[in-house]
Amino acid sequence: MSQTAVARMLRALNENKADALCVVHEADFPFGPAMTVRKYRLGNGLTVLLLVDPSAPVASYQTWFAVGSRHEKAGKTGLAHLFEHLMFNETENHPAGSFDRALEEAGAESNAATWVDWTFYHENIPRDRIGLVIDLEAERMSKLVLHDPQVTSEKEVVANERRFRVEDDIEGSANELLYRTAFTTHAYGWPTIGWMQDIQSFTTDDCAAFYRTHYAPNNAAVVIAGDVREKEVLARIQKAYGPIEPSVVPIEDVHPEPPQREERRVAMSKPTATDKLAIAYHGPAFGDVDHVPLAMLCEVLFSGRSSRAHRAIVQQEEIATDLRGGLTAFRDPGLFEIYATARPSRTADEIIASLDSEIDRVVSEPVSNEELDKVKARGELSLLQGLETVGGKAEQIGFYHTVLGDPAGAFDRLEAFRRSTRSDLLRAARRYLLRERRSIVIVHPETKPGARSET
Amino acid sequence: MNGPTLYVEESCVLPLVSIAVAVRAGASTDPPGKDGLTRIVANMLRRGCGGMTSQQIEDRIDSLGADLLIEAGPSTETVHADVIKRSVDKLVDLLALLLGEPTFDEVEFGRLLRETKGEIVEARDNDRWLAVRNFRRVLFEGHPYGRPIRGRMDTISAITRDDVVFHHRRHFTQGRVAIAIAGDVTRDQAELISKRLVSRLPEGGPSPDELSDPPATAGRRLVFVDKPDRTQAQILIGSIGSHPRDEDFIPLHTATTVFGGTFTSRLMREIRSNRGWSYGASARLAYEKKRDAFCMWTFPASKDAAECIKVELDLLELWRNRGITARELAFVKRYLVRSHAFDIDTPNKRVHQKLDVELFDLPEDHHSRYADHVQAVTLQAANQAVSQRISAADMVIAIVGTHREIGETVVKAIPALARVDVVAYDAE
Repeated sequence: MSQTAVARMLRALNENKADALCVVHEADFPFGPAMTVRKYRLGNGLTVLLLVDPSAPVASYQTWFAVGSRHEKAGKTGLAHLFEHLMFNETENHPAGSFDRALEEAGAESNAATWVDWTFYHENIPRDRIGLVIDLEAERMSKLVLHDPQVTSEKEVVANERRFRVEDDIEGSANELLYRTAFTTHAYGWPTIGWMQDIQSFTTDDCAAFYRTHYAPNNAAVVIAGDVREKEVLARIQKAYGPIEPSVVPIEDVHPEPPQREERRVAMSKPTATDKLAIAYHGPAFGDVDHVPLAMLCEVLFSGRSSRAHRAIVQQEEIATDLRGGLTAFRDPGLFEIYATARPSRTADEIIASLDSEIDRVVSEPVSNEELDKVKARGELSLLQGLETVGGKAEQIGFYHTVLGDPAGAFDRLEAFRRSTRSDLLRAARRYLLRERRSIVIVHPETKPGARSET
Repeated sequence: MNGPTLYVEESCVLPLVSIAVAVRAGASTDPPGKDGLTRIVANMLRRGCGGMTSQQIEDRIDSLGADLLIEAGPSTETVHADVIKRSVDKLVDLLALLLGEPTFDEVEFGRLLRETKGEIVEARDNDRWLAVRNFRRVLFEGHPYGRPIRGRMDTISAITRDDVVFHHRRHFTQGRVAIAIAGDVTRDQAELISKRLVSRLPEGGPSPDELSDPPATAGRRLVFVDKPDRTQAQILIGSIGSHPRDEDFIPLHTATTVFGGTFTSRLMREIRSNRGWSYGASARLAYEKKRDAFCMWTFPASKDAAECIKVELDLLELWRNRGITARELAFVKRYLVRSHAFDIDTPNKRVHQKLDVELFDLPEDHHSRYADHVQAVTLQAANQAVSQRISAADMVIAIVGTHREIGETVVKAIPALARVDVVAYDAE
């Protein structure tokens, strides 16, 4: 659609409307070689990001709220995540259960996710049912009903989710301890799912206050990708969301993490046969110029069977069965994480020693041209794979908008991959992969309490 | 000549090509005492071929901008690859070598056996996996579906390089291969790719189908996998299901979706929404080349495990005895027919549906007329399928938990148990 056509469409949409209900076109973002994300804003502050993609008769509808576990307070951890669960309950016009029922009847796939910086809700839906999703999502943004029995029941569901993901999961437990050890000050140190004691002590009032503060159009972005008619979708959004009042989103009480000056080590024991290891170096924020080269270095070290650390530690020295690394994509400085499982009769200390020699190598000398080219090719493949479905496209748009303010940031990041040089990776290694900046969690097998076998 | 069958889905939306090469010989063909052989063969393919070492192969895959996954299932082993379009020719050359000229290097073979044993030990950390493994071990006792695809410590030790070479020689023939290609290629290009992929394989006829449907379980069996320090229990309850060749498959699949296939299903409503007992509560009717399992899955806190099982069994009884309602059927038809759009929204999904028809011996129109089949299900057919196919008397209940804490209450919660096995989580 040309700029003139957009202006004509908006004139028609905004005719005889109060300013608060008007839709404004803010910008266009090229999304790869052939597509465009168009950014609109409603009078109440709601951002709308629209990508028309007729490749299949379906659409993805996502609502990204700029609230995650980093916005919680000590003693109230897990509230953002619990609230995500509560959003599937009763609203003023829809009794409990009818939200999911209506979406299922329309053939929609629906779910949500909460992380440190954001919460998002998504529906993939046949294109002719997009209006239903718009109405339902607008309804639950402003007319959710919270009762004690629902909150009590959902707290129990979340406690069970925590048992599943943390208490009875070794890596989940190690990961939680790793973050608590690495972050002494920043809110990234507590788990998004929350401490069990906090989950069990939430009141309905806590939930209602959270809703009023953070669930408002001026703290959200709606992303639509798929085979939709732009004007019809905008008109429906304008009608459904336009009357919702904005909130006063409080200034975040953020506490930056102070520099770590010495290595931290902690240990735990679990019913397992082998040592496990979790390591985290403090890393850059997702928007930092060093994030791309450090992510590339992480690939050189840990991505797949051709990576340096996997080749050395899993294949040649046979110390570990599993070895993975990753760099967090957080708005504030995050972590360069490494997870490993020792082979039977090998130890976490042996893995650390071998890892250290691989890390020393990338700190002391540049990676090869071939390694750099491999990482660039993998980055391109990974982006393409993420764009196969409308849901994948919408997620890229929503995530990059929420974390970086750039809906087409995925393509900018690919360009940054292509521009990066061996010296960029060397600089990132020397800046971040320092032993005094790391935390280590070692999981040892606990003494076996005589598990028996009876048949 | 028996050549490979080829399925193609063209789409130039993204410069990406997906290739799947499936060999119709899965873990069901593993000789007795050599469980895990098929998976070892599959993993050895990328560890040396046509004069290239394992490291050279991995470097090549990454430098082309490709992803390679080789997996072994009960009746197939499949090479899956995604590649950026500009590298497709080079990847096809590599895949042809990998399929037709693996070197099965002795050193790599020894290394893989040790790696696999490490994985077997590591898998014991995963409670969900332990529940699935023990559920299938007991449900499919005496049938190849009950054997571990990954193998056990003793069976991995028994596998020799000669076994690997023999398996490859026997099963990797052009007649046993099916190929699916999707993405930015034309039909003509795909046909050429297909020929090149199998160019180093010998000709050969199709695989004989030696597998029978698994027999029904006799009586109610509980397998309790004892693991220390569990705060919750992983619970699987189920029986032998149906196959798309069976007339009752679509009616049973439809009724199963009402029972536990959506977020508002009966199981989810009673276990999660009303009681808050489990984060997930679902039921599924799986199929393989033969009948597979009907299965319910929940994971409540340990203190709720016995009550949860009791409620699940009551719900199952109700479902069997009274069936689903006309209103539920109408609802689930709308859900299944409309959500089918997401089974076919990418070229890769569409081409895999075609491949599945061949690999799993499905009726020709199982996927292509799925919506029509669902629409045709009557209330009588759905309820008859449930009452006749699902047994409340003959079933397997697998639970992973701490036996000394909940073992007794769990046994008491299940009436008419024919057999109880308590096994240590690291027994296998």
